[in-house]
Amino acid sequence: MSESASEADPEAAETADDLRSYVESPIIMATVRVVSPFVFTYGLYLMFHGANSSGGGFQGGVVVATVMLMLGIAFGIDPLREWVGESTLVLVVVAGVFAFLAIGVVTTLPPFGGGFLDYSALGFPGASKYGIEAVELFIGVVVASTITGLFFAIDAGKEGGDNE
Amino acid sequence: MNVELPLIAFVLASALATAVLRDVLGAIIAFATYSLGIAVVWVVLQAPDVALTEAAVGAGVTTVLFLLTIAKTVRPSGDRVLERPHWPALAVAVLFVGVLATTLGALPEIGAADTTVITSEVTEYYLANAYEEAGVKNAVTAVLAAYRGFDTLGEVVVVYSAGVGLLVVLGKEVFA
Amino acid sequence: MIDLLATRDYYLASFLLLGVGTYVMIAARNFVKKVIGMNIFQTGIFLFFIAAAYLEGANPPVLTMDGPHVSPLPHVLILTAIVVGVALTAVALGMIVRIYAEYGTLTEDTLEEVRNGE
Repeated sequence: MSESASEADPEAAETADDLRSYVESPIIMATVRVVSPFVFTYGLYLMFHGANSSGGGFQGGVVVATVMLMLGIAFGIDPLREWVGESTLVLVVVAGVFAFLAIGVVTTLPPFGGGFLDYSALGFPGASKYGIEAVELFIGVVVASTITGLFFAIDAGKEGGDNE
Repeated sequence: MNVELPLIAFVLASALATAVLRDVLGAIIAFATYSLGIAVVWVVLQAPDVALTEAAVGAGVTTVLFLLTIAKTVRPSGDRVLERPHWPALAVAVLFVGVLATTLGALPEIGAADTTVITSEVTEYYLANAYEEAGVKNAVTAVLAAYRGFDTLGEVVVVYSAGVGLLVVLGKEVFA
Repeated sequence: MIDLLATRDYYLASFLLLGVGTYVMIAARNFVKKVIGMNIFQTGIFLFFIAAAYLEGANPPVLTMDGPHVSPLPHVLILTAIVVGVALTAVALGMIVRIYAEYGTLTEDTLEEVRNGE
């Protein structure tokens, strides 16, 4: 097969060295520096304002994650990963999932006695609205940090592999 | 103005471009275009929440992950621009579409007021009671976080498991 | 016949996208392209759901707008499915990176040869 031959041949295929994931470019760095705070704010807006207009945890989380992707592409993924901290990211993901679970369980406890994720059982006015917004925020945290983590993990490749 | 048909043509054309381009980088770029077109389709079909997600995920995150993968591995290059047609696969795909298309007559008209989804009790209940019961004006959020909150917890756990799964596949303990 | 197609155009588009997705998944030799095909297949299904929720002349399911509204339930299902889809894609790409690290190829035929040769 000609396709497989061309791919096995190192001359004909571009290798990982030709396609580096980071190229320093002042244009990209300047653009990202200007744009990223606004995109980050927009992501938070989507998370918090999802109750009354389009948006929500999943959308906001993905938009916040794209800020991390932009920063990684502009300033290099390795420095960003060191800045974020690898275990911090794992901790944030786990904390987000357990916070969601905790909100669900709290409403079933004796003083409230509602169902799982039954926000109105909490009893204060607007409990349902605030409960939904808290859940949306935690969904956003989990989605944003997981996508950032997937990005870092694919970039780092296999542990002990020849590609870093 | 009727934007439906040009939009559908654009989406199908970019999907076809993704299929026939031989260069993987070209296919990824065509796929990003396709995702953007689909996001506009969601807006036309009055689904702004889905459109926001699709625009950020399809045109943004997925494209970056694909690009990162070919940067980490290999990008085949050759003289030909287009892939040679794979006849057995084409036959399977045409047969598949043909079988699905036979159901077309049994499907309700798009946008008609008497379709099962629009007239169903669930839709009417959500739209009538979302504000009183859940206290939020966006019915999608109300269904997502209140009525189907348990399902959403499951989805969050799926996203979490994807992170864990990737770490297992790559043989690591942290995202690095 | 023309009337049938004109009133069900999004369903037809959805079927065609499913067909394109199937074709790419079977025909593509490169694994990255197979994953792209899987994504196209997914969006075909999403299009079917969202088209089913559509009501001509209706507003989005945000209750600050006047009714009628389109159905919110398919939107919720697809919203979560898109995010799960990106997680699925990421795991598939992680496997591709792993395959490349182990066997040095991303092509179906070459991978088969390499594995048979071992």
